[in-house]
Amino acid sequence: MSATRPEVSAVEALDEDTLHRREDRRDRWLTVGTFASLLGLWAAVTGSGLWEPLIKPLFLPSPVAVWEALLRLIEQGYQGRSLGHHVGVSFQRFATAFSACVVIGVPLGLLMGMHRPTRAVLEPPIQAIRPIPKLALLPLFLIWFGIGNLSKIVVIAAPVFPLIAISAMQAVRSVSTRKIQAAQALGASAWVVFWRVVLPASLPGIFTGIRVSISLGVTMLVGAELTATSDGIAWMALTAAEYLSTDIVLVGVLIMATMGYSLDRLVRAIETRVVHWSGKD
Amino acid sequence: MSADLTPALVPLVLDDPARRAGALLAIDGLGKTFGSGAGQVQALSPTDLYVQEGDFLCVVGPSGCGKTTLLNLVAGFERPTAGQVRLRGQRITGPGAERGVVFQQGALFNWMTVLENVAFGPRACGVAPEAARSRARELLSMVGLDTFADKYPYQLSGGMQQRVGIARALANEPGILLMDEPFAALDQQTRELLQEEIRGIWRRERKTVLWITHSIDEALFLATHIAVMTARPGRIKAAFRSPFNAADDPLIASTPAFTTAKRQIIELLRGESRQAQAQESAA
Repeated sequence: MSATRPEVSAVEALDEDTLHRREDRRDRWLTVGTFASLLGLWAAVTGSGLWEPLIKPLFLPSPVAVWEALLRLIEQGYQGRSLGHHVGVSFQRFATAFSACVVIGVPLGLLMGMHRPTRAVLEPPIQAIRPIPKLALLPLFLIWFGIGNLSKIVVIAAPVFPLIAISAMQAVRSVSTRKIQAAQALGASAWVVFWRVVLPASLPGIFTGIRVSISLGVTMLVGAELTATSDGIAWMALTAAEYLSTDIVLVGVLIMATMGYSLDRLVRAIETRVVHWSGKD
Repeated sequence: MSADLTPALVPLVLDDPARRAGALLAIDGLGKTFGSGAGQVQALSPTDLYVQEGDFLCVVGPSGCGKTTLLNLVAGFERPTAGQVRLRGQRITGPGAERGVVFQQGALFNWMTVLENVAFGPRACGVAPEAARSRARELLSMVGLDTFADKYPYQLSGGMQQRVGIARALANEPGILLMDEPFAALDQQTRELLQEEIRGIWRRERKTVLWITHSIDEALFLATHIAVMTARPGRIKAAFRSPFNAADDPLIASTPAFTTAKRQIIELLRGESRQAQAQESAA
């Protein structure tokens, strides 16, 4: 009886696969359509040099003007430094803060999930810090950590760290008791239970926490480069606004959006490869 | 015809010293109370139960009667508040590889292939990877899943997942198998098929089994011994020796003797559930 089973399910699986592929393709086109319509609307209301703009270029430059601003920035740089430098500096600040949060926050969250005393010590202060708007602490961070890169990294890490640590902790705590009991009944030591059951079962939740914090981290970049710096992509957008160079502001905003979006896609791609079992329980 | 109507179930004395003497699994005065003070709930009132080597003991009872608590205590997932459990004379203080556990569902490791799932036990007990895998392959072919070794559990149907769970629990060659309603979430056809298979495995391997179920039919079909549990507080009301396990007829459930036996158990349970309901509405 079991010999006939593989064929039946293989056929079913094939049908479902083609169906999914078709739906995926349709969804991709719908997404492309959304972006195309937004771009079209933007071009329409700003005239793009073809007709009288509905909104003055000072407030909203046309896509063409923004594109030209981007080319100009690539060619000439901004305030004596190349565009690549500004992007690089910002990315470095973000990446340093973010990797520190992952490297420290995930293990700490795992520990908090596994070990009750650690949770009792660390969770309340972390939860208490979470609702504080971290931008309000910026002046304090500048005093404590100076006007160098460290204060910028701290500003970005301040909201990201608790999010990553708490989501890792919650991921551990929601691991099904049954799976842990099953492992114990198979003779697994506490160590083996952790490495081969608790950790893999928590990975989907950890990835979700990481993905949510990407957009948060990119947002905090603006706060980090608000003062006490003379480079970075958010700084470029902020200073350009002072001179009403709306086209440069938009270039900065779009670069940050692209950065956040690509990082999210990257983590999502890693996620689907690493945690293929996510949501399959 | 009249011969069929005589009770097929032979009553069993639970604390029979003869059974107790050679018991593989000895449950002595085992009880569990949750909570304390006014919120105290007695899940299992002190219970004696002895399982001989090679027995297939089904504990049957309605939901909430404490049968899962009983299994959790034997598995070592919970600590008793009274009495003790001993396996081959050794007192049980926690989970261990000498007791294989099969759960209702959701206990497979979705991040490992089916083969790795079955090899997990031997690996955890220190068997070399290659030996563990070849043992796992043997067991997978025993449950008819050798072609699914490299799939992940979530790619399998519910019935296949339970087969993996059974193979995984057998991989450590445990002295006793503890099964917590392993087929309760399956559809009727799959369930009956698996019941026949598990009985076949039991006949070949002569494993000792403690099987928890709410299905009287399942208990009568599979068990050599049946303990009937009732709720509030959970206790074993009666126990029997059952003959149907030895029958070769797959349609044994439609024979008069089977029906008579089923009636006997239903009547035992009905009185109790009425009482429980009355208690509940009074409270």
